[in-house]
Amino acid sequence: MTAASAWSWRALRLAPPLLPLLPALVWLPVLLLLPGLSHGGGWDLIGQFAGAAFKPSLDPLVLSSAFTGLGVTVGIALLGWALSLVLGLVGGVLSSRTVWRTATGSALPAECIRRLLAVPRAVHELLWGLLLLQLLGLQPVVAVLAITIPYAALVARVVSDLLDALPTAGLEGLRLAGAPAGPALLTALGPALQPGVISYGGYRLECALRSATLLGVFGLGGLGTDLRLTLQSLQFRELWSGLWMLLLVMLVLEALLRVLRQRWGMPARFGLSRRSVGRGGREVVLGALLLLPLLVLVAVALGVNPLQLGQLQPLPAWTADWPAVAALPWPSLIGSTLALTLLAAALAVGSAPLLLLLMAPWPWGRALMQAIWALGRLWPPPLTALLLLFVLQPGVLTAALALGFHNLGILGRLLLEAEEAAPLQAEEALAAAGAGPRLALLYGRFSALARSYLAYGAYRADVILRETVVVGLVGAAGLGSLLLEALSSFAIDQLIALVAVYVVLTLMGEDLSDRLRRRLLAA
Amino acid sequence: MAPLPLLPPRLPRTGFRLALLAGLALALMPAALPPQLQQAAPQLAGAQAQQKLLRISAIPDQKPETLNRLYPLLANELSRSLGVPVKYVPVTDYTAAVSAFRRGDLDLVWFGALTGVQARLQKPGAKVIAQRDIDASFQSFFIANTASGIKPIANQKGLSVLKGKRFTFGSESSTSGRLMPQYFLGQAGVRLTDFAGGAPGFSSSHDATIALVQSGAYQAGVVNEEVWQSSLSSGKTDPKKVIVIWRTPGYANYHWLAQPNLDQRFGKGFTTRLQSTFLNLRASNPKQAQILDLFGAKRFIPAPPRLYDSIEKVGREIGKIR
Repeated sequence: MTAASAWSWRALRLAPPLLPLLPALVWLPVLLLLPGLSHGGGWDLIGQFAGAAFKPSLDPLVLSSAFTGLGVTVGIALLGWALSLVLGLVGGVLSSRTVWRTATGSALPAECIRRLLAVPRAVHELLWGLLLLQLLGLQPVVAVLAITIPYAALVARVVSDLLDALPTAGLEGLRLAGAPAGPALLTALGPALQPGVISYGGYRLECALRSATLLGVFGLGGLGTDLRLTLQSLQFRELWSGLWMLLLVMLVLEALLRVLRQRWGMPARFGLSRRSVGRGGREVVLGALLLLPLLVLVAVALGVNPLQLGQLQPLPAWTADWPAVAALPWPSLIGSTLALTLLAAALAVGSAPLLLLLMAPWPWGRALMQAIWALGRLWPPPLTALLLLFVLQPGVLTAALALGFHNLGILGRLLLEAEEAAPLQAEEALAAAGAGPRLALLYGRFSALARSYLAYGAYRADVILRETVVVGLVGAAGLGSLLLEALSSFAIDQLIALVAVYVVLTLMGEDLSDRLRRRLLAA
Repeated sequence: MAPLPLLPPRLPRTGFRLALLAGLALALMPAALPPQLQQAAPQLAGAQAQQKLLRISAIPDQKPETLNRLYPLLANELSRSLGVPVKYVPVTDYTAAVSAFRRGDLDLVWFGALTGVQARLQKPGAKVIAQRDIDASFQSFFIANTASGIKPIANQKGLSVLKGKRFTFGSESSTSGRLMPQYFLGQAGVRLTDFAGGAPGFSSSHDATIALVQSGAYQAGVVNEEVWQSSLSSGKTDPKKVIVIWRTPGYANYHWLAQPNLDQRFGKGFTTRLQSTFLNLRASNPKQAQILDLFGAKRFIPAPPRLYDSIEKVGREIGKIR
C-alpha cells in the first residue's frame, strides 16, 4: 500500500464525535426536495396556528373540556403503565435465561417465551387500540389495554435483558451453599435488578402519556380527540388551550421522574446498561404502596370495568378474498414504509446533535430549541402531519418530517440529559485551550457519547418503523394509510395481512437494530 | 462510554417535596373529576346496565359544537314523546359509530348512507327508521378555492380539471364527502392517484373541508350540500374565496337506524312509536321546529331500505363495503 492511499484511508475514517452527525447528511437531499413539495397554500394557517400559541382560548367551556380530556388521557396513561409494569416484570422473569437455567437447568423455555413476546411488541399501540375497539367497543378499557399489551412485552424484554446481564457469582454461591432456586434468585438478583427496572419504569410512564394522547387522536378518548378536532376545524386558539395544559403536565412529569431518579440513585435512560446501586428503598416501597389506591381511584373515575373484558364481541362477518389481498402492491407498500422509517430515523438521529452544536454558543437558542423539542415530543405525529399538509404535498417526505420531528423531541432530550451528565473536564480543557464553544462541545463531550447515542438511535429506528402506521393519515402510499382505509372498510382479510406484514418487518428491524447496537457498543 | 457520576448530588428536600406534591396533583387529576367525566367522555357503558336507557348517536360529520347543540335537544324531545330516558352519546369517528352499533352499545344512530349500509350488514335485522325530506335525493358539491383558477364546470366530464390539483375529501367513510364523489370522479376518468401528491386528503368532516379549501391548503374539495348551505348562510364561508364548481346528481343519504331488539327492551310496538315520533315532528311546534331547523329539514319521511341498494353497489365497487 502506498503512503498516499494509506493516508486517504485514514482520512476517510471518521472521528467518533462526527459519527452522530453523519445521519444529518440526509438534510441535503431533503432540502433539495422540499421546494418541489411545498405548495404554500396554507402559510396563513401556519401563521395563525403559531400566533394562537400566545393567545389560547380562555373560554371556561373550552378549558373545562380540555381539562376533562386531559384527566382521561392521564388516567389512561397511568393505568396502562401500571398494568404493563406488573405484567412486564412477570414476563421478564419468565423470559430470563438465568432464571430458567437456575430453576430447571435449561434456558430453552426462556427462548420460546422471548420469541412469543416479540409478537405483541411488534404491533403498535394504535393498532392494538383499533383492533380492540372492534372486539370490546368504545370504552376506556380499550385504550388502557392498547397501552398495556405492547408495553408489557417491551418491559419484559428489557427486564429479561437486565436480568441476564447481571453477574451470577452471588447466585451460584447461594445455590452451592444449598439455597433453593427461588430464594436464591430473589436474594442474588432482586436488589441488583431494582434500580434499572425503576428507572426504565419511570421512562415508560412518559411514553405512556404520549401514547395515551396519540390514542385520543384516533378517537379512543381523552385530550387527543379535542386536539384533532380543533386542528381539523382550524380552531387554533382552542387547540392551544389543550396543548399548553398537556405540555405543562408532560414537563412536570418529566421533572418529577428526573428528581426521583436522582434521589433514588437510578441510572439515566441512556446508561441503562451501566450499573448503579439504588437508594431510598423505603421511599420506593412507600411510593408503590401509595400508587395502588390511586390507581383504583383512577379506574373508578374513568369507568374502567374489568368485567367488560368478558363481553368480547366477534369481529363483523367477513369474507376472505386472499387472491385480492395478494394482488395488493406489496413491494411498493413495503418499500415506501421502509423509506419512511429510514428517512425519519436519519432526520431525528442526525438533527439532535447538529442542533445542539449549532446552538452551543447561545443559551437563549438552546432554551428555544428545548422548548421546540418538548412540543415535538408532545404533539402526536399525525397532527404534525396534518399541519404540514397545509404547506406541503402529501407523501413519504411529509410523513417522515412529522415522524422525525416527534422522535427528535425524544432523542434530543435524552441526548441533552446524557450530555449534562457527561464529565465537563475535556470540554473545559478544550475551551481553555482556545477551541470555540462548538468544537469544545463536539470533541470534549460528544466523543464519549457518540457510540451509545448511535446505539440508542438504532433502537429508535426500530420504534419508528412501528410508528409509521400513525402517519397513514398523510396519504403517503405506505402500509399505514392502507391500514386505516382497511379499518374503515371493515376489510378484515386485508387487515390481517397488513398486521402480519408489520409484525414480520418489525421483527426483522428489531434484529437488525440489535446487531447494529451490539456492534456499536462493542467497538 | 462516559462514566456517570456515581452519586449525583443530593437534592435539597424542598425541591423533592415540591416535586412530590406536583406529582401527586398530577396523578390525582383524573380522580378529581368523575362527574364531568360521566357526561363528556365518549365511552359507553356495557349494554346490560343500560336496559331502559335509549342511547342515540350520530356520525361526527360536522363540528362537535353543532352536534352537541342538536342532539341533546332531540334527546329531550324523544324522551318526552316516548316516555323513556334518552341519552346522546357522542362518537369521534365514523368507523367507531358502526362498530358501537354492531356491539349494541348504541340504540339509534344517525348514519350516512354508506355507514348505514355497513352497520346493517354487520347487524342483520337493524331497522331503518326515517330519513329527512332532503335525503332521498341528496347532492354533493365540488368546491374550489378561487385563487386556484379552477372555474365552474358544465358537466361531469369537466371534473378532469381536478387532475394534478390538491384535493380533499371529508371522512374516509362519508357518503357525500367521499363515496359518491369518488364514484362520480371515477366516471369522469379521475383516479385517486391523479391528485397532487398522488393521493387525496381526508379532512374528517364537511366543516373542515370548507375551511381547508377556503384557506388554500387544498385547492379543491367536496362537501355535502346541507353543510355548505348552512356554512354559507351563517357567513362562515367567504364566497369570494371558495366557490361551487359542480353539483352531483342526487342519491340517497342520511337515515336513522335502530337496533333490532328495541321492542324486546322497551316494550311491544316501541320501534313503531319511535318511527312515528320522527315522522310527526312538525315545524308548527316551536321546539320541534328548532330540531328540524338544526337538521336542515322541513320534516322526516319514511325510508324504504331498498333506497340504499345502489349505495351498497357503489360501496362494493369502491371497496368500502366487502
